[in-house]
Amino acid sequence: MTALDAQTDSISITDDDAPAERQGSTPIERPKRATPLQVFREMPIVIKLSTIWLLLVFGGAIYAKIDTVLLNDALPLQNPNLQTNNFNPATGEFGDGEPNESWSSAHWLGTDTIARDTFARIVHGAWVSLIIAMVSAGFGVVVGGFFGSLVGFVRGRTETVTMAAMDVILAFPALILLLAMVSIFEVRSLTVIALVIGFLSIPAYTRVARAGSLAVSQREFVLAARAIGTKPMKILFREVIPNVLPTVLSYAMVAGAFVIVVEGSLSFLGLSVQLPTATWGNMINQARGNLKVNFAQVFWPSMALVLTVLSLNSVGDWLQKRAAHRGSAL
Amino acid sequence: MTRTLSKFLALLFTFAMIAAACGSDSSPDDATTDTTEDGGGGDDDGGSDVTTGDVDDDDTVVEADDETERSYGGSIAVGLEAEAVGLRPWEDACSSPCYNIFVTIYDKLMEQTIDGTYEGWLAEDITPSDDFTIWTMNLRPGVTFHNGVELTAQTIADMFPIQQEGSQSSSQIAASNLAGVEATGDLEVTYTLSQPNSAFPAFLSRVQLGAVFEPAAAAADLDGFSNEPVGTGPFVIESRDLDNETVVVRNGNYWGVDPQGNQLPFLDQISFRPIPDEGTRLDALLSGTVEAMQTLRQGTIRDARAAVEDGEDLTLLEFQGNNVGGGQFNVLVPPFDDVRVRRGLTQMNSQENVIDALGGTGISLPGTQWYSPDSVWYSQKVADAWPQFDFEAGSATLQEYIDDPERSDGKAPGEPIDVELSCPPDPTLIAAMQVIEQTWSATGNVNVNLTNYDQQTHINYALGAENGFVGEHGAHCWRWSDDNDPSVGINPFLAPPTPEIAEAAGIPDIVSPLNFSNWFNAEAFGAAVAATQTDNFEERYALYEQIQLAIAEEVPIWYSGHTATMIGTVSNMQGLNGWHLPNGTVGIGFTNAEGRWAEVWLN
Repeated sequence: MTALDAQTDSISITDDDAPAERQGSTPIERPKRATPLQVFREMPIVIKLSTIWLLLVFGGAIYAKIDTVLLNDALPLQNPNLQTNNFNPATGEFGDGEPNESWSSAHWLGTDTIARDTFARIVHGAWVSLIIAMVSAGFGVVVGGFFGSLVGFVRGRTETVTMAAMDVILAFPALILLLAMVSIFEVRSLTVIALVIGFLSIPAYTRVARAGSLAVSQREFVLAARAIGTKPMKILFREVIPNVLPTVLSYAMVAGAFVIVVEGSLSFLGLSVQLPTATWGNMINQARGNLKVNFAQVFWPSMALVLTVLSLNSVGDWLQKRAAHRGSAL
Repeated sequence: MTRTLSKFLALLFTFAMIAAACGSDSSPDDATTDTTEDGGGGDDDGGSDVTTGDVDDDDTVVEADDETERSYGGSIAVGLEAEAVGLRPWEDACSSPCYNIFVTIYDKLMEQTIDGTYEGWLAEDITPSDDFTIWTMNLRPGVTFHNGVELTAQTIADMFPIQQEGSQSSSQIAASNLAGVEATGDLEVTYTLSQPNSAFPAFLSRVQLGAVFEPAAAAADLDGFSNEPVGTGPFVIESRDLDNETVVVRNGNYWGVDPQGNQLPFLDQISFRPIPDEGTRLDALLSGTVEAMQTLRQGTIRDARAAVEDGEDLTLLEFQGNNVGGGQFNVLVPPFDDVRVRRGLTQMNSQENVIDALGGTGISLPGTQWYSPDSVWYSQKVADAWPQFDFEAGSATLQEYIDDPERSDGKAPGEPIDVELSCPPDPTLIAAMQVIEQTWSATGNVNVNLTNYDQQTHINYALGAENGFVGEHGAHCWRWSDDNDPSVGINPFLAPPTPEIAEAAGIPDIVSPLNFSNWFNAEAFGAAVAATQTDNFEERYALYEQIQLAIAEEVPIWYSGHTATMIGTVSNMQGLNGWHLPNGTVGIGFTNAEGRWAEVWLN
């Protein structure tokens, strides 16, 4: 067995097309994968705090959705759209709740300008941010990640054409393109907004994946796979993409933070999901005319946005470093 | 290590901010104060309130200070809610912010008095023929334009062809029935109308038809005139930097004097600055960046009142005018073509909560008609007839339509109606539309789709130039009425909206694209026409009451509250409250936050 063979085996290439005698070689044992708890323990304090915050946002969003969709508001979280606290849908009468209330045990973060519970709206608003971030990340990772890995691997005319197309999309001011696309799709559902933002995320992911793919494609184990006659698509899916994926995923965290801000901008401009659905951006927009009376109603959703973006950036940054460290160890 | 530390500090700072916010949350009760005894701003003083220093006492009429000695000189900056897109009276669309600029540069032929009547400004007098089709006007002598050209009757006649071509003036020409303008003497002008119009002087008090510009200078450069206007007004254009600043300086040759005989104007210079954000504009006044600012938003008035209560030394000139907000149904589009839907939705609209969402509690009076309780045209009978908030009754009325097998929207009986409710994206309007959405949706019989479009798109959807002026709107936020003569605003609102409807009504030549709700009631339109053929107040009052009753019966529109407006100034600025007409009569005041700046001086 040559040195090259040993190295190839050490990263567990199992080539079904390889000669039978090479299948019997003993691979070097892979280090045990760390458990999530171990990873959490490894984290610096900032990353731990950020992770906890992200888990809270994620859990809150899921909790709010389950409460609304499955349990018909049975869980102890107020209806985010119910106004004046005691509005009675049966009689149309408004209750005695006041708008712009300060924080209290009934309304942890107070009420907004039409007496809706701010805490409930922030929790429900997290769902929109979560979906936007996940769909755009999913879109970006799957489509952008694949195209990037592909063109970085096959190179040639495919790469030239694909990257030129991506450059064209990237060259167009993203927010303006987004505004135009959202205006075209007059129905502003969460799905449409998420898909539009996801589509615009593809070029960035493609670039990241291509860069990773270019590097990985020159690594010895890929060259070895080529040398032993493995089919290109098999190399792509078994050798290239798995090694590019950690980088793309960690980028997804940072990109997710960006798209949450983009959605906030859209909401602030009144171009995101339709009212009265709560989003952090439209909460800020609706409260801005009321700053002098109720500053807290701008502050709380802004804080949720800032903390989430900061946390995603921190965790994404940390994951990128981890991925880079693992890559260099290959 | 350094990066980790900086991230930790960033998070620490963020949590510190949260803690600070928890500690500084102010109670709205401390900040919002109802300064009017009636709790709604209604009084007997023509709708105006002056607030200075202590907000609890000064609740006064529009009244000039005739005692204090005036002083000349000084300059002020005025914060406006929007830029004036152009300064051509015949062409450029203008609303209250830009009227503030227009009246410094141009004089109008007529002006409205505190009593709501119309008297001469550049005109000395105006007399109608018996049938109100010929109006003869005599101009004031000795008036010159900023470029030295003398004002004569021929000037007014020469303005007319330009006005006929202008997008703004031409609509006013059509609405006023004006057919021709002729100089019948050096200073005598004769207006010929195609139809009687007893309210014609009201049109001459409006910028579009009444602002006098130098026609030769305008004809020489129609576009350039927008930035270099020539009028006879108390100030002369000095510079214009679009979206930044328009500066006017004292017209040393101005013809006007105040009732004490002081030569006008008093100020050397006024700088008008567009500051679109409401909070920023008020902050500019509070910080001394501007000496005056105007607003048409109740929330800003509320904040300004709170600032005065907190000790800020400001003068707040408030005006509760006829202008009333709310919305309109497109009655040519199902299901709004059925009065049961319109009435049901209106009854399920909690006016009180909508006004609250608009920030107008204690500031804005609930609307029931086109005239506020302060107006001479206000009718208690109409107020009583207006469908007030009654959720149960409204729900029952709507249910009749829902269950009707012949319902106009083509849906099966029992299915909810679809309503697109659209407002411009102002935060207070967004809040108000969500209040409406909540009550309408609560029945389970209304699927409400909330949309926001920018102001121009919002107007274009209602105008519907591309679909025969039917419009693309359903339920649409809108405003109506002003403090002019009722005929100015209501006739276009009542005229047939499409050629087909006009043809069916037997008046094929009269079509009004400005009938945005598309509601046509032959009797109401007949009353509106009849009201322009008499100058007898009682007759006209009865006709306008009849129209308002028809609106209350068929509900093509709904109301929220009357629009309170305000000009806030530093306290040493005097003379804005209680300006005078040339004959010494006190003018109407500061309707729609439109100031008259010639008599303003700094104390």
